[in-house]
Amino acid sequence: MPDLLSFDADRIRAMLPHRWPMLLLDRAFDVDPGRSGSGIKNVTVSEPFFAGHFPAQSVMPGVLLIESMAQLVAVIYGARHPQDGSSDAADRVGYLGAIRQMKFSRLVVPGDQLLLHARLGASIGALTEVSVRASVGSEVVARGSLVVSERPGADAA
Amino acid sequence: MSMTHDELRKHAEERTALNQQLKSLLVDNLELATPASEIGDDQPLFGRGLELDSLDTLEIVVMVEENFGVSISDDDSGVFGSVNKLADFIVEQAGGIPAVENA
Repeated sequence: MPDLLSFDADRIRAMLPHRWPMLLLDRAFDVDPGRSGSGIKNVTVSEPFFAGHFPAQSVMPGVLLIESMAQLVAVIYGARHPQDGSSDAADRVGYLGAIRQMKFSRLVVPGDQLLLHARLGASIGALTEVSVRASVGSEVVARGSLVVSERPGADAA
Repeated sequence: MSMTHDELRKHAEERTALNQQLKSLLVDNLELATPASEIGDDQPLFGRGLELDSLDTLEIVVMVEENFGVSISDDDSGVFGSVNKLADFIVEQAGGIPAVENA
């Protein structure tokens, strides 16, 4: 087994360029750099998006589930370079290239703890396919496949 | 080569079936507007050919891995030249023409 890494919110903030209200990932663990990892996103009633989505019923937008997964993928990528804390790590974060497939099977509401999983798959050039899953307790809430792109100019490991 | 006439014909039929399956998979996976029957064996897939882009190359990599168990790496970029080049690579990596179910 490779050494698996964990990242708390402060280390994640040091790795990712995202900030409030778009920094969604609270914790990452079981991270096998460049390969796979898990993460947690706690959903609270004071999330800014609940003010408008929707005024009478709080539902976390599906696209933000995808964004949470993508941030976990960025941590899995960034973990390949041990010098997190430097601005270099944030500079390497890439972009979402495609949402190949995604299925949402349950609403995510305040009080839910999202358990996220991501596993990197086939890769060509700067593009990598990633299988992702989010669950609450034992229930899968979303599952699918993304394509992420390494930032142009970033060093490929 | 010491193939009999029947062996040669069987070989040609298997290869034609592989090319046909690749074209069907390309149309399905990349949601191409071009019907499979109108894609030429040597037609360029990118640029002026089918006008695929870099995201489509990754779709082809995933498609070939899922359907044929063959991995394409950055060093094999020539395989994206045409259906024939892609089929040649699969045959070479798989050590023979993979059996294709009739579409």
